[in-house]
Amino acid sequence: MNINTDLKKQNTYDAIVIGSGISGGWAAKELTQKGLKVLMLERGQNIEHVKDYESAMKAPWEIAYCGKLTEEQKRTHPVQTRDYPYSQANESWWVNDLECPYTEDKRFDWYRGFHVGGKSLMWGRQSYRFSDHNFEDNLKDGHGNDWPIRYKDIAPWYDYVEKFAGISGQNENWPLLPDGQFLPPMDMNCVEKSVKERIEKHYNKSRILTIGRSANLTVPHLGRGNCQYRNLCSRGCPFGAYFSTQSSTLPAAMATKKLTVRPYSIVNHIIYDKETKKAKGVMVIDSQTNETMEFYAKIVFVNGSTLGSTFVLLNSTSEAHPNGLGNGSGHLGHNLMDHHFRCGAEGTVEGFEDKYTYGRRPNGIYIPRYQNFKDDKRDYLRGFGYQGAASRGHWHKEVAELDFGGDFKDLLSKPADSWTMGLGAFGEMLPYYENKVYIDHSKKDKWGQPVLAIDCEYKENEAKMREDMMYDAVEMLEAAGVKNVKAYDNGCYPGMTIHEMGTARMGNDPKESVLNKWNQMHEVSNVFVTDGSCMPSSACQNPSLTYMALTARACDYAVKELKKKNI
Amino acid sequence: MERREALKKFAYLLGGALSASTMGVIFESFTVFDPINNSYSFSSTDEEILSEFSEIILPTTAASPGAKDAGVGAFIPLVIKECYPPDLQKIFKNGFDNMLAKSKTKFNKEFLNLTSEEKKMLVTDLRQESIDNNKEPSFFLIARDLTLLGYFSSEIGCTVAREYLPIPGKYDGNVDYVTGQKAWAT
Repeated sequence: MNINTDLKKQNTYDAIVIGSGISGGWAAKELTQKGLKVLMLERGQNIEHVKDYESAMKAPWEIAYCGKLTEEQKRTHPVQTRDYPYSQANESWWVNDLECPYTEDKRFDWYRGFHVGGKSLMWGRQSYRFSDHNFEDNLKDGHGNDWPIRYKDIAPWYDYVEKFAGISGQNENWPLLPDGQFLPPMDMNCVEKSVKERIEKHYNKSRILTIGRSANLTVPHLGRGNCQYRNLCSRGCPFGAYFSTQSSTLPAAMATKKLTVRPYSIVNHIIYDKETKKAKGVMVIDSQTNETMEFYAKIVFVNGSTLGSTFVLLNSTSEAHPNGLGNGSGHLGHNLMDHHFRCGAEGTVEGFEDKYTYGRRPNGIYIPRYQNFKDDKRDYLRGFGYQGAASRGHWHKEVAELDFGGDFKDLLSKPADSWTMGLGAFGEMLPYYENKVYIDHSKKDKWGQPVLAIDCEYKENEAKMREDMMYDAVEMLEAAGVKNVKAYDNGCYPGMTIHEMGTARMGNDPKESVLNKWNQMHEVSNVFVTDGSCMPSSACQNPSLTYMALTARACDYAVKELKKKNI
Repeated sequence: MERREALKKFAYLLGGALSASTMGVIFESFTVFDPINNSYSFSSTDEEILSEFSEIILPTTAASPGAKDAGVGAFIPLVIKECYPPDLQKIFKNGFDNMLAKSKTKFNKEFLNLTSEEKKMLVTDLRQESIDNNKEPSFFLIARDLTLLGYFSSEIGCTVAREYLPIPGKYDGNVDYVTGQKAWAT
């Protein structure tokens, strides 16, 4: 009996954080810095900062198959190979789809990275605040439920996380894209500056173009080195120059000596105690040994990525919570959103043949949303923003003309004759109750767990928006004097932007939502969910910065409540 | 909407062609895994032939060494074997054999014994066939694509033909382009 008691004591912490990506890393940092003893559980392998960034310093000729994927990689990663992020240079950071299957009632591209740091190692780093327009849209047009917070509630937390993470950018005083606590902005190149000037003049500043706000350091920051302009971020940065769990939140949490990180720990479910009506811990499967074990804590932060967290909650059934933990509302697993993209225009720019670039900027330009704002009314709801860039690459038409020979080789060794400028839109997706995930018990993963089934699609509002996403880009590029402008819509399926969110949404009404305004479960007061699953709407901005701010805010609240003995 | 209709006249849809503008690699869309397992193998003579083929595509010039020195001859069969589905491997292999047969019928010589003018004539024919076939997958297209990819990813391609900056350290988007300056490798 003594052994069991000791084991239980040994496996007991103040807080458990499920997941180690962007939001899990923040939860671990905040909770440990506030004095809690924290266990962070990660289902995949450990990746040590710098040391394990195996391809970070490799030259192009040192990357296997010059970057082409092998047939074996396509076999084991049938989903990850559907789009560009899964690459030869960081291929071990993407999930083996065969080991972790899921059911697609409709096509949903689920990109997953199972390792310490999660997708914070491979993310796109674009970091934009939501504005009050975003927090009010649901209430105004009646889609989804009202956000339980407004911009003023989250603004100080945006300040807080930006100051620590290090976001470079330019303040613009644009109502739909609040300013922030930025490090110096990266430079626009000469063509982008020209396009900016002409677009802003043409639209009389009713549209603006700014440098991307990116979690890349433009100056040294809190002991981390600044960006070296290699544009190889997705391999891990040896200079710690972009925000990741490894470069930023994990060292801060480790410095408190209060954090334990346990890799290879798949959380199967959260253990509910019907006496206290709280979670008492989690049941974990060791992914290497298949052993199961339990860990206990006063509070549980669920940060396993939107669909990962939703699986854990749906799989945490008990007599009191037969449809999943805290799912009295029936909204858990519903209202799944993503953004939609792969749509825009590009063209060539003349007159800059005497200019070139030095260095590879891991960032582009941004045109924040301007639709359905003031006089700009559209025949659909919400709107979109553009990411883009101008560059002088090494494309020559002779490539497509199938040329060969010495002159051809020497030509390809020179930069292109002209610059290109492209704009690609990111559109908002409305929350629809019927876009959902649920547990499919007919299929099992490598560890015998049931899998998630995903039933999600874009609808009419998104389809209408895509037309404007193309033709607004054409119009702006033409106004900027760009030549040979071509529109494109390469098609998009939910999941592709890797901005999935909404399946455990926040709200004031426990009948309509899973979490309250503090990301705390309405029904289980010591469980907090602060990854993308908490989002009542998607806006059109890249969402990770908002997860960071909501996580820091929820941690602050949770620890205060814990001290007051309210949870 | 009138505005949209007007814009549609200016713009035409690019479809999925964007990726083609980054590199010569045309077959990125052929990445669906094909479960039939019949991988081809290549002999050292085959490698030598492919090396000579790649040298016709990107030969040594006054400015830089060619594809042969960059090791493209060994790169092509490796990538064909590991990274191409069986249907494309088959197209590649049949086209390769056809090229060798043509060498005999046209010049009455083994490919490796052709002069470089003769090899160039042969490759010119293959190029014309590809154009006539609307750039359907063929030995010529695949081998040429892989020559471009292999060469401009090689150390010679990156550091001699083009210029490679491992750690630029800064970004300047408004530097003067000096006539004749090489392109950045990445």
